[in-house]
Amino acid sequence: MERDDADGSLDSWAQFCSLSNELLGGDGDLSVGPRLAPVVADLCSRGLATLVRDYFLHSLEETFRNNAVKKFWQHFHPYCSASAVDRIKFCVKEHWPDDILSRALEDICLEKSYQEKCVLVLVHALQLYEDRTAKRKLKAVDCSSSLMPRYQLMVSSVLLTTLPLSFPEILNVYFKKKLEELNVIMAGSYESDQHGNHEPFESSNASDWHCGMDIDGQEVSESSCLVKNIGKIVRDLRCLGFTSVTEDAYSSAIIWLLKSKVYELAGDDYRVPVLGCVKKWIQAVPLQFLHALLTYLGDSVDYDSGSSGLKSPLASRPSSFPGIGVPSEALVRWHMRLEYFAYETLQDLRIGKLFEIIVDYPESSPAIEDLKLCLEYTGQHSKLVDSFISSLRYRLLTAGASTNDILHQYVSTIKALRTIDPTGVFLEAVGEPIRDYLRGRKDTIKCIVTMLTDGSGGNASGTGNAGDNLLEELNRDAENQENADYDNHANIDEKQAWLNSESWEPDPVEADPLKGSRNRRKVDILGLMVSIIGSKDQLVNEYRVMLAEKLLSKSDFEIDSDIRTLELLKIHFGESSMQKCEIMLNDLIDSKRTNSNIKTSLLKTSQTVPGQEEAEISHDVLDATIISSNFWPPIQTEDLVVPASVDQLLSDYAKRFHQIKTPRKLLWKKNLGTVKLELEFEGRSMQFTVAPVHAAIIMRFQEKSSWTSKTLATEIGIPMDSLNRRISFWTSKGILTESAGPDADDHTFTVVDSMSGVNKNSIVNERLAEYQMTEEEGESSVASVEEQLKKEMTVYEKFIIGMLTNFGSMSLDRIHNTLKMFCIAEPSYDKSLQQLQSFLSGLVADEKLETRDGLYLLKR
Amino acid sequence: MKVKILQWHAVASWTWDAQDETCGICRMAFDGCCPDCKFPGDDCPLIWGACNHAYHLHCILKWVNSQTSTPLCPMCRREWQFKG
Repeated sequence: MERDDADGSLDSWAQFCSLSNELLGGDGDLSVGPRLAPVVADLCSRGLATLVRDYFLHSLEETFRNNAVKKFWQHFHPYCSASAVDRIKFCVKEHWPDDILSRALEDICLEKSYQEKCVLVLVHALQLYEDRTAKRKLKAVDCSSSLMPRYQLMVSSVLLTTLPLSFPEILNVYFKKKLEELNVIMAGSYESDQHGNHEPFESSNASDWHCGMDIDGQEVSESSCLVKNIGKIVRDLRCLGFTSVTEDAYSSAIIWLLKSKVYELAGDDYRVPVLGCVKKWIQAVPLQFLHALLTYLGDSVDYDSGSSGLKSPLASRPSSFPGIGVPSEALVRWHMRLEYFAYETLQDLRIGKLFEIIVDYPESSPAIEDLKLCLEYTGQHSKLVDSFISSLRYRLLTAGASTNDILHQYVSTIKALRTIDPTGVFLEAVGEPIRDYLRGRKDTIKCIVTMLTDGSGGNASGTGNAGDNLLEELNRDAENQENADYDNHANIDEKQAWLNSESWEPDPVEADPLKGSRNRRKVDILGLMVSIIGSKDQLVNEYRVMLAEKLLSKSDFEIDSDIRTLELLKIHFGESSMQKCEIMLNDLIDSKRTNSNIKTSLLKTSQTVPGQEEAEISHDVLDATIISSNFWPPIQTEDLVVPASVDQLLSDYAKRFHQIKTPRKLLWKKNLGTVKLELEFEGRSMQFTVAPVHAAIIMRFQEKSSWTSKTLATEIGIPMDSLNRRISFWTSKGILTESAGPDADDHTFTVVDSMSGVNKNSIVNERLAEYQMTEEEGESSVASVEEQLKKEMTVYEKFIIGMLTNFGSMSLDRIHNTLKMFCIAEPSYDKSLQQLQSFLSGLVADEKLETRDGLYLLKR
Repeated sequence: MKVKILQWHAVASWTWDAQDETCGICRMAFDGCCPDCKFPGDDCPLIWGACNHAYHLHCILKWVNSQTSTPLCPMCRREWQFKG
């Protein structure tokens, strides 16, 4: 019985082997099926079901590996074995991976589908048996149902183990090419859609992907055809078990396309926002593609394919996309993934160019807005800070950049970063290096004040209009403050307070906890500027000096803009610190009134004495600015003997002032002011606006057409060297000529009365003369802050010298502290460490002191 | 050559021309103003007494008003009278 049984099973086995070989080797002949069934049933009843299954699978694998797989890879062999250079040649070919891929896939899928049929035959046989013996032998059940999955697993493992390295590359190239093709098609319809996008059904273009019934029917069908092709290939690849490889390939292709699209759109133009375009493009091209692909593959289960493009009633959900209706979950995920990638790419692009963007800030605000949105999404602010600081260090904070430019950029940075991050946390980080650097520059205060007060930004070339911006900023701040005050008074009820507290948001994570969040709230440009200087007093002082200079060189009494500036400064710095400046402006207002008062009374009296004014200059030409000198910065006075006629006018004026304002007296500062005069030659006249010294010089030449510099200097009452400096203004204008005088250092100046030589000269020298005039004007009438400081510090020079004689050598800190300790009597020592340092370095330059290892000691 | 002056804009400073520098009461400069004033000059004038001592008008008025008996000049203790 047992032997019989063994023989029977051997027979059945041999039968089964031959049948299965016939089945697999046969060309599409499935007729062996019915014959196979009893053999299988026999073997199964002998408990050999697993053996049957394993043997069958094994022979399937053999056949598959030998026939299909080899052939499949052979298709790609030329590419895989080619060198890197040759591979590029492949990529350039028009239909390269397309044709070969579809052919190879077709072949292998044909083979596979035949094998699947074979598997089904066996499954069928097994099932027949199982149906009969279902109740008794449960074990065989999983044989039949697990056969198909096992087969699939076998196929993919065979393919993956033989996978050449460059196959993913081929797929990548394929998807790139296809997507580009699709992009071109879609770009056409996308653009035409942009033009004709008046209709409310925004979805029409997208939904017609499938029904192809709109005006662009041709394009749409073209693109849907393309997607179908791609879909077919993807499906084939998937069924071979290349699911993840394929997904990698097409997602990297999409990402690549997106990246190049972002680069193309963003470029170097910062004046247009691009984020919207990118988003629209994402919806128009890659998402439509993915949607079509997923639908084709049957992945987007949620998609209501029955309505085919009709908008689902739920489409108004915020998460829906135009034309897609309710998107599948996979699509939503893709959408988020693509958008994030777009944000990140754009953000990196913009951060890299942030310096340039900020340079043309007001124009580039769209780019800043984009960046802001990106950062909100990605949260990579620290990247911005790091990259921007390094570009600042490299490009701005160098010796070559002018202080004005740095300040201008600083202001733009403040504004731009304020847009990106209203809390000012990142601004703090970015601003610190700029501020540190500016503190090391000497002309920073001056530039800041000029920016504040002067519309032209104090830039001779006129490039910086930062001043305008800053003043404007001050204005706006002032208005805001008023509004805020108003708000505070109006809505101080509990409801408002509750709303305020509800809208509170924590500081960003990057915030420095050491600095209170309160003062971070308001980004105040002026405050940030002042923080560069250190104290507002220094700024106010510098402003006072500059204001004094400006007011003293005025030839009219127009100070409206200065008053406005002062009012704004008062808001920021407090009334008391601007007190002196206010008095200065008040002096101008008073002067205007007094001036007209005196002039009318003088004119009346001069009318009573007619005949006198023939030779004399009329009182009408004299105007005076009368200052309260105690409140002005120290003024540089210089003796000057003005011509007698002018002197007469001045003393008349002073007398009149004394009469009107008894017992006050006027003290003329004769070297200050401006003189408008006209030089009359035979048949020609020229007008000049000059300093009184120049006027005094040229007027002397009325009496005598030739002067030696020595005698002229004594006549005018100024030193020789300063005369020589001043007179060069007239020689440069071609009014006077210089010739060697009796002495080596004594020159003779003569009026050029004949016109012949002058014309040429004056035209040639026109530029030069203007230049020199500005040079001349640069000579200030007010002692600069440094000079004032030096004057004030000289008191302490003796102390310092004494200290160093006693102690030998001292550090800066120690000198500072000792002075603070001992100089408490009038004048008490109130200078800062920096001021002391600059004074000491002055002494070092004068060779009174020397420094060694940071210690000061007496020079021997 | 002839020079014709079209406009001469000069600069001058004013002074009260008192003999002393500072007001004996507030110790502020005469050419400045008393502690209560903001602007010097017309807003804060000087006044001379019969004894020829000068003070800020506001300072001496405060002084005079605070005296119960006949006011004296703070400097020379003579009876205070405004110089006519």
